[in-house]
Amino acid sequence: MAEKIPKSLNEIQTEVIATDLLIIGGGNAGCFAAYEAKTKNPSLRVTIMEKAHISRSGATAAGMDAINTFIRTDKGETPEKLVKWSRAQVGGGPIREDLALSNAELLNETVELLEEWGLPIVKDEDGHYKLRGRWDISIQGEQLKPIMAEKAMEVGAQVFNRVVATNLLMDGDRCVGAMGFGVRDGKFYVFHSKATIVSTGGACGIYKSPVTDYSGAHHQTWMCPFNVGTGYAIGIRGAAEMTSMEQRWIAIRTKDFCGPVDTISVAFGCMITNAKGERVMEVRYKDVGGDKAARFYRLNAPMTEWLEGRGPTYVDTTILSSEEAKDLREDLLNERPSFVLFLASRGHDITKEPVEIYGSDPYIVGGHTGSGYWVDMKRMTTVPGLFAAGETAGGNPNKFVGGCAVEGRLSARGAVDYIEKTTLPPLDTKQVEKEKERVFAPFIRGPEFDGVNPMEMEERMQRLMDEYAGGIHQFYRMNEERLDHALKNIKMLQDQTKYLYAKDIHSLMSAHEVSDRLDVAEVLVHHLKYRKETRWPGWQTRMDYPEVDPDMDCFVESVRDPKTGEIKIFKRPFKQLIPGDRTKA
Amino acid sequence: MPPKVDREKCDGCKAEKESLCEQICPGDLMTLAEDKKAYCRMPRDCWDCMSCIKACPKGALETRIPYQLGYHVAKLIPMMGTNTITWTCIDINGKVERFQYINRGMLD
Amino acid sequence: MQKTIPKIGLFIYEQGGRLARAIDLDAVIQRLARIKNVTRCEVLTDLAAPLPSIKEDFTSDKFNRILWVGKFSDYQKKTIQSELSSAGLNPYMHEWCDIEEQGIGIDGVDLGIQTQKAILIIQMSLARTRLLEPLEPLELPAIDAALIIGAGVSGLHTATSFMELGKKVYLVEKESGVGGKVASLHRLYPRICDPRCGLEFEIQKIRESDMVEVHTLSKVKSLEGSPGNFDVRIEKQPRYVSEEKCNACGECMKVCPAVIPEEQRSRESAFINETSQQVLNSLKSEKKAIHPAVPMPYPPTFLIERQSCPSECRECVKVCPAQAIELEQTSSEMAFKVGAVIVTTGWDPYQLSKVEEYGYGIYPNVISNLEMERLLESPPAIEEIGFIQCAGSRDERHLNYCSSVCCSVALKHVLYLKEKLPDARCYIFYQDIRTPGFDEELYQKVKSLHNVIFIRGNPSTVKPGDDGKLKIRTEDTFSGKEIDLSLDLLVLAGGMMPSQGSFEIAQLLNLPQNNFGFFESHLQCHPEESQRTGILVGGACRGPMNISQSIESSHRAAMEVLPFLNRTILIEPKYPVLDLTKCDKCKRCMEECPFLSYVFDENGFPSLDLTKCRQCGNCMGICPLIAISLRNNTIKQIAAQIQALKSSFMGKEEPVILAFLCENDAYHAAKSAVEYGLPVPPNVFFIKVPCAGSVNNALVADALAFGIDGVLIAGCKDGQCHYVKGNQLVKTRSGDLSDKLQKMMIDPQRVRFESLEIRDSKKYVELVKSYIEELRAMGPNPFKS
Repeated sequence: MAEKIPKSLNEIQTEVIATDLLIIGGGNAGCFAAYEAKTKNPSLRVTIMEKAHISRSGATAAGMDAINTFIRTDKGETPEKLVKWSRAQVGGGPIREDLALSNAELLNETVELLEEWGLPIVKDEDGHYKLRGRWDISIQGEQLKPIMAEKAMEVGAQVFNRVVATNLLMDGDRCVGAMGFGVRDGKFYVFHSKATIVSTGGACGIYKSPVTDYSGAHHQTWMCPFNVGTGYAIGIRGAAEMTSMEQRWIAIRTKDFCGPVDTISVAFGCMITNAKGERVMEVRYKDVGGDKAARFYRLNAPMTEWLEGRGPTYVDTTILSSEEAKDLREDLLNERPSFVLFLASRGHDITKEPVEIYGSDPYIVGGHTGSGYWVDMKRMTTVPGLFAAGETAGGNPNKFVGGCAVEGRLSARGAVDYIEKTTLPPLDTKQVEKEKERVFAPFIRGPEFDGVNPMEMEERMQRLMDEYAGGIHQFYRMNEERLDHALKNIKMLQDQTKYLYAKDIHSLMSAHEVSDRLDVAEVLVHHLKYRKETRWPGWQTRMDYPEVDPDMDCFVESVRDPKTGEIKIFKRPFKQLIPGDRTKA
Repeated sequence: MPPKVDREKCDGCKAEKESLCEQICPGDLMTLAEDKKAYCRMPRDCWDCMSCIKACPKGALETRIPYQLGYHVAKLIPMMGTNTITWTCIDINGKVERFQYINRGMLD
Repeated sequence: MQKTIPKIGLFIYEQGGRLARAIDLDAVIQRLARIKNVTRCEVLTDLAAPLPSIKEDFTSDKFNRILWVGKFSDYQKKTIQSELSSAGLNPYMHEWCDIEEQGIGIDGVDLGIQTQKAILIIQMSLARTRLLEPLEPLELPAIDAALIIGAGVSGLHTATSFMELGKKVYLVEKESGVGGKVASLHRLYPRICDPRCGLEFEIQKIRESDMVEVHTLSKVKSLEGSPGNFDVRIEKQPRYVSEEKCNACGECMKVCPAVIPEEQRSRESAFINETSQQVLNSLKSEKKAIHPAVPMPYPPTFLIERQSCPSECRECVKVCPAQAIELEQTSSEMAFKVGAVIVTTGWDPYQLSKVEEYGYGIYPNVISNLEMERLLESPPAIEEIGFIQCAGSRDERHLNYCSSVCCSVALKHVLYLKEKLPDARCYIFYQDIRTPGFDEELYQKVKSLHNVIFIRGNPSTVKPGDDGKLKIRTEDTFSGKEIDLSLDLLVLAGGMMPSQGSFEIAQLLNLPQNNFGFFESHLQCHPEESQRTGILVGGACRGPMNISQSIESSHRAAMEVLPFLNRTILIEPKYPVLDLTKCDKCKRCMEECPFLSYVFDENGFPSLDLTKCRQCGNCMGICPLIAISLRNNTIKQIAAQIQALKSSFMGKEEPVILAFLCENDAYHAAKSAVEYGLPVPPNVFFIKVPCAGSVNNALVADALAFGIDGVLIAGCKDGQCHYVKGNQLVKTRSGDLSDKLQKMMIDPQRVRFESLEIRDSKKYVELVKSYIEELRAMGPNPFKS
């Protein structure tokens, strides 16, 4: 254990690991990528770099209760219909229909693999996967993560647990791996690989969470707070092109606890109601689809009701029988077990009182919306040799568990093809030394350093974003001047990272997490500024541009110049592949 | 949320290099104190995924909801089988509810 | 990984309509035949006739495993297995299910319930059968050589036995010669013969064989590896004389100027008188700096005690005709490989100076029984001799046990003494005279001698008399009188304790010792056992015993290690296997293995030494991630058995108990309960396990999750577990689970551990009955549907 604080870089050991395929982030997509790569080519060296422990790391730590995308072909559903639905869920797009279609085509097979590996999937009398929504199937997924992790290990992936990624390793403009440090052993790690897949999940904690003020509840977020956007950050710093960062993922969540609501509303049909007893979606959002409206409309519902004096807002669970209430909570035990404890700690009988809902803090997560790396059909980003999978990859919203698993497999296929045509160039030791210095700087400064501790900077950034970049306390609203203010202060904070100090190795990880979040926040704000319209109210509410601008019916892209740090923002056109009204599912 | 440690039961995983809770925590929050008993390094950062609770072979850990969010005291106790899991939930009024289901294998 | 679809042939062996009387056999067959994967299901009334068709069905792949239900004799089982083996069916692909041993057929139980129970028992076996895998024993290469540590009487005899079996032996001894304590004795009882005669007999054999390598002045430095393949390193101290050239002619001794007096106790005291001086003289022994090996002059090479040599003296070098003196010799190391190790490091006498009241080390005429041996060769003219038995033995201040031989030794001394000094008066102060077996004859003989007086009592402090004699006062517990005596010589019967060498070896090889420092073992059944596979102990290092017992003891140990002294070792395929994808290196398996069979491999994962493993399954029991399974009894198999047990088969209100019975004791108790026709209630189903310690908490959790009302784990009593501590380990573990149940508002008594000895059939029935009552009072398991 690295208990001793090093006084110089010489005291820190460097480990160099050469491999064929490096996977940064051993989550859902990461484990599936490892599985696919090793199955396709068993002699390939596949290495997973994971900052926690792959058995329970990331968003699926507690498990999952549903796979939200499965195509019941026996009911006439098709991959095209799924893409159409997904497109409508984000208000018509834009989305990368090509990516979405290729994903949907491999979806069923991937889900069936999970069942083969031991994931219990609920079936109906005919033996089909039982639907709880149009595309959603129920799973008893408390062991989802261990099952995937064991499979990755079984096929022979080399796993490095407790190693945090800090930057990509580059050879010119090609990515040849990544660098990072061990959060238990304090070593500097250099993974030198022919191809790299980045699958670190999304970014949480850019914004202040709604209950941060409450003692002991800083991480009471829906999304996994340990996914901080490192995957995005290292790509941003490596001049990779990001897409749709302004399409923030915000959804209705149970109030205070910030727990999932989908299960309650979709699976059990509980409607959104307000304090006046009105069925809010039917009454106020009929023209955009009522209960079937796109997700951002549903997000706005409780916020608007709250502001206009008709709150609190609920999902009406009083319609449930006690059997159903029990089933509901059993489902939640698979995904967020402590929500059941939360209800119990209020003595809350959901058949007697409805469950209060509210919005969540904004997240950047490409498994739900389209934010993330711009990738081609092989899932390669604009950085040669770097592939993106899962929530880290952009352009394809509504992937959820099933879709991210597919992305893992597709990116592995792309990476394996790439590997077969390439060799490993020599290691740039200068770059390695430079990164080592950057990584351990806060640690070497030590706890007595007169500077800033990571927690302080994190809270400062979160409050800044919340107030000026459309956080929850601002009901997600923003305008140009506020965004500029945010940007100015982000740049200050980025500069001030040179004052960060770490008192131990864990605090060093926090220092880098704050640094990564700042880089993501910077790009995010640029995207929010550029899209001068309000296409998805809630996700991006521009008070100064409240209408939709038809000229912005395209993707917003960004690339950071690695030398100057300047962010270039531009458009990419949207290609509609599946015909029909884009706003209809 | 942050796990409560029963210091009588916790044996520090026989003071191995890493206790089981320390190994599994996705947030790098569980560790051993000087006296080789488990504790949560930063309770406000816990996400209550309950991986540590499930991993502890001595049953020394328990999840608690922070007082800002829920009243004292409710309990949720998982019991891990080889392919089953049971949950016992006791609310603040003492009402007991139990859940049990298969978590590994085909449902046929 | 190719998965074979299980196809099961199910045969119920019905003899003389016994089963049909207890259960509705037709209903059972009908029910079982409907089960998926059961491709043939029928009742057999004879075994020989259907066997060809069964073979045929197997060969034509109608089924690939067979479940046999019923009672089969061992002969029948073997015949079936070998017949089908010739057709290619691996013997581990047969499952044997005796429904009667689980209580089917007990009087007074409703037919419907018995039928239901029979079906469930068979379904549990089916669950196991589905997951059977063909298993082959492993053959591992080994070395057919043995290491014996300690060349005393036990070591020598064991060496010759191995040698006669054609096994190479490395005999390592720390002294310069072989023979140990026995060689320092002068006469053995009952024949009053010279012990060196018997030792020489063995030495002769060793001399003439080239199978035994004797290394004296040597100690074991390290032992690594595993049974069948141990790597030994020994360190040899220099002898300064060449083993190849020296022919023991003795010319050197004649010219050696340096004399080494024997280590003297402090004799400079005011207590020297004529008698005590004579005693000292008799006990004196001197040797030159160059001398033959001691205690026995084998190996025949002389040796030099260099530290006693005058500086620059080279007298021996000048005179040695064979030029065998090598003054520049240094200590050296040797390495070799052996298949097994026998530890025969013997005993040391207790330090009698600690028994302060008797003045050993202060008065020169107070001597030990070992010293008496020497004195008797040429005893001084003494008239009054006292023997204090149990001096420092059976005494919690010193040795709190009986050394078993001292009484016979004292009697031997008296006999021999009386031969030489017929008029001597001998007083024997004793607590009890312990002369078991044929030694009684010795006792009768001595009792009949003239002037031999037995006094039952503990003498008090010995004081010096004015005339140099020893004054002693004792109480005669029979008459109640106090007796004062004045003695010329006092012989203290000192006890036997483990030798210094034994303590060193215990540390080096990590062998457990009992409270007294002797090597720990299961005294009655497995006295030579050391808890370290391939390393056994024999002789007096195990406990105080006489010479013939020592020799027998080390031979018992030798028999036990013979399987490891072969070119190949056969390992039964019931060993545990670790799933590395689940393991997180918590090391609990390593710590709980009673035989230290796990070590860390180069990646930090536990690695099992197959030859050390006793296949008890305790590792399977402790693993918190259920990553370890015994090959023929996997976690999945047991979990499937548990899942097959429908806990509401007698209605929700009637409790069902799942018992895990250890196959060494508890299982037999349950089985014989049925055989004796005791009223075993139908509520209990049992699963046989190799040791109670192999029961993993996750399996118990499964049982409760599936609605089983009570789980009983039955194993051995403390101190009786065949795998040392399996019962304690599972008691602690299941206790943790019970605590959790309590937190879950479930009665913690739903999981309990009980000890059952092998014939505790009545206790078993009582236990089950009272458990059922308790469970009825608790109400059904809240998870019962």
